[in-house]
Amino acid sequence: MIITAVLTVIVLWCLFYGSIPGQVLIFFCLIMGGTIAVFGRHKKEGFLIIDILARKSRLYHVNASLKFWTTIILMILCISSNSAVIGIFLAIVMLFLTVIVGGLKIHDYMSMLVLPVSFLLLSGLALLIEYGGSPAGVLNLPFFHGYLSVMRTDQIRTALVMSKAFGAISCLYMLSLSTPMSDIIEVLKRAHVPDVIVELMYLIYRYTFLLIEMYYSMKSAAKSRLGDIDYRTSLRTTGSIYSNLLARSYRQANNMFDAMESRCFEGEIRFLESRKNMTLIQVITAAGIMLITLGLRLC
Amino acid sequence: MEEILRLEGISFCYEEERKALNNLSVSLYGSEKVAVIGNNGAGKSTFFLCCNGVRKFNDGKLFLRGKEIGDSKKERSLLRQTVGLVFQDPDSQIIAGTVESEISFGPMNLKLTKEAVRKQVDDAIANMELEAFRNRAPHYLSGGEKKRVSIADILAMNPQLLLFDEPAESLDPDNKRLFEQNLDILGKKGLGIIIATHDMDFVWRWADRVLVLHKGGLAADAKPEDVFSDEILLDTCGLVQPVLFQVGKIYDMKPLPRTVSDIHKLRL
Repeated sequence: MIITAVLTVIVLWCLFYGSIPGQVLIFFCLIMGGTIAVFGRHKKEGFLIIDILARKSRLYHVNASLKFWTTIILMILCISSNSAVIGIFLAIVMLFLTVIVGGLKIHDYMSMLVLPVSFLLLSGLALLIEYGGSPAGVLNLPFFHGYLSVMRTDQIRTALVMSKAFGAISCLYMLSLSTPMSDIIEVLKRAHVPDVIVELMYLIYRYTFLLIEMYYSMKSAAKSRLGDIDYRTSLRTTGSIYSNLLARSYRQANNMFDAMESRCFEGEIRFLESRKNMTLIQVITAAGIMLITLGLRLC
Repeated sequence: MEEILRLEGISFCYEEERKALNNLSVSLYGSEKVAVIGNNGAGKSTFFLCCNGVRKFNDGKLFLRGKEIGDSKKERSLLRQTVGLVFQDPDSQIIAGTVESEISFGPMNLKLTKEAVRKQVDDAIANMELEAFRNRAPHYLSGGEKKRVSIADILAMNPQLLLFDEPAESLDPDNKRLFEQNLDILGKKGLGIIIATHDMDFVWRWADRVLVLHKGGLAADAKPEDVFSDEILLDTCGLVQPVLFQVGKIYDMKPLPRTVSDIHKLRL
């Protein structure tokens, strides 16, 4: 968490150095870093509760197809734009929708967001900093007989890439923090995605949880017998756990197939679908967000 | 009682040298409470899988309401619908993202209309008191709740016989009690219930009839008092007498107490 916060400060400093006054920049960087440090404490196995958070959200009751297709369109608009404004706009709108409208705690939202943001910051750092023999950038740090420089063009390019990625991530998080995976799979099924893909998604989704559960129980059993006493033992234990997981998942798959056959399964997985009705206000809101984004895109 | 299922000379091998079921013949009826006991590897789970038609036996015949079941899809579907099987581990059975869609899986496979599926799902949910969990993801439920979902899975297919493979093994006392209450409710609906278990006290308390499996064969098919009185049989099959049965024998109680409250009544 602290690492992400420090990374945030460094990347923002490099990104806006020379564009805004020094004192304002320091204040801005500290605020952002502090926010990540305070609210973004990443929960271990937090991703396992995404579905629980989605069902708690007030946006859960909004039609899943509407949310899904709005998200896809907004993501396409965001990624195809040449302006950082759209990404920032979508990040703010999605934060508002997920936290204020959806009722998700800001701490939960930030802790979910912090993992992709860490990767984003690392990529941003790689895009921003160049190594050269002379101090050619707006920010230059002496480093091993040369300079680490941040160029103006790199700042603009990185701001665009990061805002696009952040906007797209925000859209996806709005969708996944308000729509359980089962609803998303149903939308894909209705969109005529090939059956084999949809069925695999059902089973992979279900098995992700089962295998994680198995993994943690095996890991605890290994720990209780000092399976992590030193680095070498820990590596060997992890290898054994993975091979056991493979064997157990194979057996579990056989059992599951038996259980499906016992309920007259004949090659096609079908469930009863439950659709939520679309209301006029939901459609108008979605259309409004899309139109504003399109307007920004065309500007 | 109407005969629902009859197995005649069923044999099944997983590997060539090991017979999981060996020339097994038995009839199962509606509205009866049958316990299937035997040590590990006796063939209880395989017996259930053959009854439900998931395992194709090597030898023997299987009759559903007097009619022989062949290899056709239609016959297999009818067998699987009539003889429902609740697996030991609910996690092997549950595949869907929500409780409601999970329970709809069986009826949807029966190619019923959506209205009929909805009604059967609603009935099964009401029977297993799962209304509060209808839209929940099954992997977030407790062991007892998952077990109820796995029973509702089968109930939604309207079976006549319900097979439970070691249903209470991983349940806590509260959930065990709830499970037994559910069994009473299902029994009152006229379903035949067949349970494979290692819990001899439960068998003594609950069953009307006991099937003892040993090395894939049927070692006994009798009333609980007859099975538990036969010490040679118990010794051969690695089984023990239920505690209350032993207490009743020691104190020469007549009739033998099935529950603790029976002992109180007998002492009064």
